[in-house]
Amino acid sequence: MTTSSVSKGCFVFKPSSKRKKRALDAEDYFTNGSEDYETSKERFQLCQALWENMRAETEKVQDELSKKMLDSVLEFVRKSSASFLSREEDWASRMRASEIPTAALVLGVNVPDHDMTFQSLSDRLQQTVTPFVVSVQAKECAALKHLLQKFLQRLMGLSVTVDEEEEEAGAELPQRRVHCSLSALCDWYRTVCQKPSGISPGKKRSSSAMEFPPRPPVILIFKDLEAFSSCVLQDFILICSQYTQQLPLLFIFGIATSPCTIQRTLPHSVTSLLCIELFQSLPCTQHLATVIDKLVLTPQQPFKPSGKVLQVLVGLFLYHDFSVRNFIKGLQLSLLEHFHSQPLSVLCRKKEEAVERAQKLSHQEVERIRQLPSFMRFVEKQEPEEQVQLLTSDDHVKEVCQKLLEDLRRYHKNFYPILRCLHVLTSSLPKYPLGKQMRELHVSCLERNVWETEEYESALQLLRMLAKDELVAALQKCVEILKPGKTKNMRDALQQLGTLTARFQQPDSSADPPAAEGSTEGKEDDSAPGQGLQKKTDLFHLQKTLLEMKESRRSKKKSPFELLRNETVEYIDSLVKMHLATPESQPLYEVYYYTSSGTLRRHLNATPRTSIQTALSHPYCYLQNEALKNEAGAISSSAPDLCIVYKLHLECGRLINLYDWLEAYSTVVTAAKGDDPDSGEKGKISEVRHARFIRAVSELEFLGFVKSTKQKTDHVARLTWGGC
Amino acid sequence: MSVQLQHPGYAEERLRLAAARLPCRETQAGALLSLLGEPEQYSYPSIFIYGHRATGKSHVTQTLLKELEMPHVVVSCVECVSAGLLFEQVLLSFFGSSSSELLPRSPSLSDFVRVYRQLCAQVPATQTRYIVLDRAELLRDMDSNLLPGFLRLQELVGDNVTVILLSEIVWDKFRPNTGCFEPLLLLFPNYSKVELQQILSQDSHPSYSPELYSAYINILLGVFYSVCRDLRELRHLAALNFSKFCEPLETGEAKEKDTHKLWRNIEPHLKRAMQTVYLREVSSVQWEQQQAEEREVGAVRGLSAHDHVELPYYSKFLLIAAYLASYNPARTDRRFFLKHHGKIKKTNFLKKHEKTSNHLLGPKPFPLDRLLAIFYSVVDSRVAPTASVFSQISSLVTLQLLSQVSHDDQLDSPKYKCAVSLDFIRAVARTVGFDILRYLYDFL
Amino acid sequence: MELSITPAPQPGAWRRRGVASDNDLIKKIQAEVIMSKRKAKDSHFTVGECISQVQRLLRERFCHQQLPLRPLGMESQHKHLLELLRRTAVHGESNSVLIVGPRGAGKTMLLNCVLKELLEVNEVKKNVLLVHLNGLLQTDDRIALKEITRQLHLENVVGDKVFGSFAENLAFLLEALKKGDRSTSRPVLFTLDEFDLFAHHKNQTLLYNLLDISQSAQTPVAVVGLTCRLDVLELLEKRVKSRFSHRQIHLLSPLGFERYLEIAQQQLSLPSDFPDHKFCEDWNASVKALCEDKSAEAVLQKHFNASKDFRSLHMLLMLALSRVTVSNPAIRPADLLEASRLCTADSKANVLHGLSILELCLIIAMKHLNDIYDGEPFNFQMVHNEFKKFIQRKSHSVHNFEKPVVIKAFEHLQQLELIKPMDGSTAKTQKEYQLVKLMLDHSQIMEALQKYPQCPTDVKQWAVSAFG
Repeated sequence: MTTSSVSKGCFVFKPSSKRKKRALDAEDYFTNGSEDYETSKERFQLCQALWENMRAETEKVQDELSKKMLDSVLEFVRKSSASFLSREEDWASRMRASEIPTAALVLGVNVPDHDMTFQSLSDRLQQTVTPFVVSVQAKECAALKHLLQKFLQRLMGLSVTVDEEEEEAGAELPQRRVHCSLSALCDWYRTVCQKPSGISPGKKRSSSAMEFPPRPPVILIFKDLEAFSSCVLQDFILICSQYTQQLPLLFIFGIATSPCTIQRTLPHSVTSLLCIELFQSLPCTQHLATVIDKLVLTPQQPFKPSGKVLQVLVGLFLYHDFSVRNFIKGLQLSLLEHFHSQPLSVLCRKKEEAVERAQKLSHQEVERIRQLPSFMRFVEKQEPEEQVQLLTSDDHVKEVCQKLLEDLRRYHKNFYPILRCLHVLTSSLPKYPLGKQMRELHVSCLERNVWETEEYESALQLLRMLAKDELVAALQKCVEILKPGKTKNMRDALQQLGTLTARFQQPDSSADPPAAEGSTEGKEDDSAPGQGLQKKTDLFHLQKTLLEMKESRRSKKKSPFELLRNETVEYIDSLVKMHLATPESQPLYEVYYYTSSGTLRRHLNATPRTSIQTALSHPYCYLQNEALKNEAGAISSSAPDLCIVYKLHLECGRLINLYDWLEAYSTVVTAAKGDDPDSGEKGKISEVRHARFIRAVSELEFLGFVKSTKQKTDHVARLTWGGC
Repeated sequence: MSVQLQHPGYAEERLRLAAARLPCRETQAGALLSLLGEPEQYSYPSIFIYGHRATGKSHVTQTLLKELEMPHVVVSCVECVSAGLLFEQVLLSFFGSSSSELLPRSPSLSDFVRVYRQLCAQVPATQTRYIVLDRAELLRDMDSNLLPGFLRLQELVGDNVTVILLSEIVWDKFRPNTGCFEPLLLLFPNYSKVELQQILSQDSHPSYSPELYSAYINILLGVFYSVCRDLRELRHLAALNFSKFCEPLETGEAKEKDTHKLWRNIEPHLKRAMQTVYLREVSSVQWEQQQAEEREVGAVRGLSAHDHVELPYYSKFLLIAAYLASYNPARTDRRFFLKHHGKIKKTNFLKKHEKTSNHLLGPKPFPLDRLLAIFYSVVDSRVAPTASVFSQISSLVTLQLLSQVSHDDQLDSPKYKCAVSLDFIRAVARTVGFDILRYLYDFL
Repeated sequence: MELSITPAPQPGAWRRRGVASDNDLIKKIQAEVIMSKRKAKDSHFTVGECISQVQRLLRERFCHQQLPLRPLGMESQHKHLLELLRRTAVHGESNSVLIVGPRGAGKTMLLNCVLKELLEVNEVKKNVLLVHLNGLLQTDDRIALKEITRQLHLENVVGDKVFGSFAENLAFLLEALKKGDRSTSRPVLFTLDEFDLFAHHKNQTLLYNLLDISQSAQTPVAVVGLTCRLDVLELLEKRVKSRFSHRQIHLLSPLGFERYLEIAQQQLSLPSDFPDHKFCEDWNASVKALCEDKSAEAVLQKHFNASKDFRSLHMLLMLALSRVTVSNPAIRPADLLEASRLCTADSKANVLHGLSILELCLIIAMKHLNDIYDGEPFNFQMVHNEFKKFIQRKSHSVHNFEKPVVIKAFEHLQQLELIKPMDGSTAKTQKEYQLVKLMLDHSQIMEALQKYPQCPTDVKQWAVSAFG
């Protein structure tokens, strides 16, 4: 797991394959690598349990997020399926009679996430609206034939379970391609709709089936519209449009980019047969924010990714794929890694369990705890005899351990609410000194003590200039946040802020103009030396203003409002200082926090190219051969042929003369033999060496560094990037 | 000036029925009918009816054949993924269900003719049989012998059968290079403005007076007739905007009488609809809300708003790089992306002979290497060539923002093209604060 | 509204009408008047019935290619072919011949006439076997062989034998035809319609074998090929060509207009055995009058110059005939005129009239592009450019549409195949940049514009000059 080999790198990046591996024989796979066997089993169980509840959590979140869109889609479906029936009377639906109602879902570019959405969509459709829901993908319908076949098979296959004649109808479908036409489908539909039993598909509960309208619509979901070939779609839609009278068809397009793709792929003659409505899912960034909020920014989850780890995951999300699913997978991986690499993670669980587990710590584990840097720091802080205690008696350590765990627990309980409050207060400030998103603030809080940062300073300054109403609003939000807090400090903080806000509302303080004057005088102050400052960055400029204001403030007395405001800010500052200390400062934090971001990055964002290059230029990293180690720039003759050839080729231009290359190679190799090149068979190259050279070159070609070229005889072309 | 549809050999009232269902098409119906002649008489072996979309080609034909109870089959060539389907449908509707069993698997035209002959020997035609092939232009893409075969089917099967081909495309495009049996051509011209008015006025809203509706249609045609004469599209537009038209009536601030007020009310809506005519832009409530929530400052509604795509950071830069690569000549890369590209004089750098800009000629394909080279020089931070960077390229291809020119299985230096418009890429570049125009050769 | 059909009035009624309308053929009217009088006392045939009789008869001629008594205008070829086939049929000489002529020249008719005549001879009838093959149907030799087997009624004989080669199979078939004694065997006439298509079969096995048999004096076989390609011999492989008797019957003899005219008359006039003699005479008289009429003659002349073949003549006459009704019981020159108008109408122009202003503008823009880069292919972007320029000059004349709308219009033109994409790979390139060619020529566009209903003058000017 430690080396970053090509195969593994690409391997892990595939979302599905890792789960397959684990499903294969997960536990052994887990326990094999770990150093102490006995607890690994337990840790594995823990890990599984945690992951289970995380997954449940995420799924809940996903559903909530997509709910809004899904509901409106369902509404649309119901409406149009109703209009199928009300064609005669209702004017609008009569006008639309010839058109196929179509819902276009714009789901954003994170294609891997779509599956989940479609899954829940089709489930809900099948439970509430109609049993006849089919979804197709582009890659399985290369031609119109295939699309038709897939459509019919899945549709009829769905209710094959209902009764016999459908059975053979579905059965004979594949071999008699000729009957694979929509007219056949219409007949089938008629038969199914006549018998009430036909409506309830086999696997659905018949209770829900009863609620279906008399003629349930047939819904076809095109999962990835972009990928479909346009002519297939055109023909298919044209065919369908001829059956709008017999068959209540209804399409759902899954669109990744933008609705314009519909017009791009389909000509007007086809779109005029559709009655399209657009729907849109939440932007994935919002999605991510919610997931983080639910999975990370909560004391409920014992497992915590460190700031670095979070940065890796979020970076992956923002820079590479907008895929929430991959983010969660990354989280899962880090969880796995944590439990796998950190033996003390046995304590990483709900508080009570953790405490009682702490009581039966084995000697070895106690030793581990003693070696924990955070614990050491903790020990050093204690009085000498206490230190002795801690270093000698295991039981005492266990005692302390329990206490520490509870502290840590409390720390978290306080940490997150205060974090939220701080975010609420600062997220509205101009230019977001502490970041716009919660996650940014969170990361910076994990990284270092936030109050030591410049940004924090300027943020407080800005808070001190905040207009009254904004401040009050923010404070009220904070109060809301703190309400559920159970710990003592939280309750204090709550009522403190409550009183502060109350005092803000008192009439007398509201008399004088708050921020305006401050800022204005700030202006006129700096307008004197202002010319010089024009090119300075805004932040700097701002701070300067603030300083000047400070002085000016000193000179004249503050209004009660300003006093109150400063008091508030001071209090908030104190809260931050008290609760937002970095986790590193907490003893035993290693139990909960997973820190090795490097491993994670290697796995999730593999760099096959670089690892190949390192392998070729520094073979030592892979084959631990001392002979190779000392090499700085020179080419070691003991290196594998491939590496030698590679290094030589780096010195060449775009076209490499094979013979010169061979010459160079042989000189390098002969250098190893000790016999100086200019002796005996000079310039003559043994077949063996020649063969080795050729093999090396072909290997290099295989790796995509060179390729044979027609431009010049016995030359090969060098590829800058390789044919990736 | 409605003309009575009349022909000997057909029952009066049936003709009247048919005529009633063919508004503004009496002339064409009459012509067609007189060509078909009386039921038992021979008709011309093949008749080719052409005209624009929604000019009632298939409607008239089918109505006549159905109402006058002539033995006929209507086959839409779109549905016939194989010629076999076509044959089967014809036989089924002429000779009953058992007939199609006689056809072998994947039948040829020869088989079809053989079976037809043998069947119609048993059941000779008492009246002319009609085979209507809708969207006949697709016949050309099937086996080359199919179209000529059907054109002279009467002669081949020796039966009283007539093939009617319907298409939007002129006959000249059908003729095979060695020629074939020439069918009778019959044109269905577009509906005139008056006729459109008449037809559209027919589907009036039950809860309003027909006069009101026809007045509305009149306004509608006044706006749209110049750009769109497609009956179907016009009907769509009518349905779309009628509710807006009626709003003042609903609110009661206008009577059905004062048409001027109504007109002033609807006119802007129609003008707006003008921008999206043919585009079928119907957005749902949910869509509007969603848009409203994340509307960035001064985002314009309508098409450009729909054409906005959120992309991961590096994907944006990859796309930008791709755009630059496909619209700039490769030789100019040095000047754009090299920090110290000597002093390249703008005069000799801009070649005179290239007068047509690349934005007129379209994107040029470029190799992967060039894309990455540009990518690494435009992206601000230093990016490791990770697998995910490469995977983003392929995902851009699946999103059809890039298009892969070289064949899929060519692993070695594949070629791509950028498939997005200038506006699109500018929007993308703006989000990452990249002034793309400075890097585009055409805009120097 | 000439096409409109009014109800059958009483004789008296349509006499009045006759006076009103057909003032050009007084003679005919009188005839009708008399006839109607006659009908008044003893009528076993109403006009309506007569008309439908006429329709039936003539339609069979025009539509069903019902054989005339003698082939018209090709007597010599008729004699020649008849002679050849008789030799095979009666004296058992093998032979091969090609009938070459343009489409609709009457190749099939000629052949069928000959066969009809041939089969009237009794011993021929009971002896000769006919095999009709058509290049359109028998698209490869396997199908062709099955068809031959079927037409010779040998399915049961063949049963499920397997043959080494095509030749073997064919030989077996012909062998099977031999009567009890080996000497005499029944002559077989092979007729190959669309002969040139058979030449495209895989190494021309069928042709080779047939012609080979026709060379070797075993079973008496006649191979008659019909084709419209003059260069058909170039299509044949050497080995096939060498076995062909190089007899060709050409139907290219350009018959003069007088002949053409009289054929037309012949085609229109009723046979003497028409049930109602009176009507028959009147009809024939009217036809005669028609053919003498100047305008009608002009029409026919025009048509003749366009194409001399019978089928196009048939089409013309058919169209004219379709306008014959009870109210209009004879073909008037006007009908003929209308018919030829229908025949010769330029369908592309018709399509152009149906376009919207926007699409028309695009067409004009393309025309200008064609003028600029003489005939080089162009893409949508360029067209749009031209269009935009025009809009900027004359903003009021045409509404300024957004690009997507214009693209849709462009697509529509492409769908109508008024413009044709150059390269097949549509999926790879964006729509805007795909190279296309305009399939209309200058004159078509211009005259379409002239006829276009309420076309804005600016647009017309623009069409005339790029900077109008």
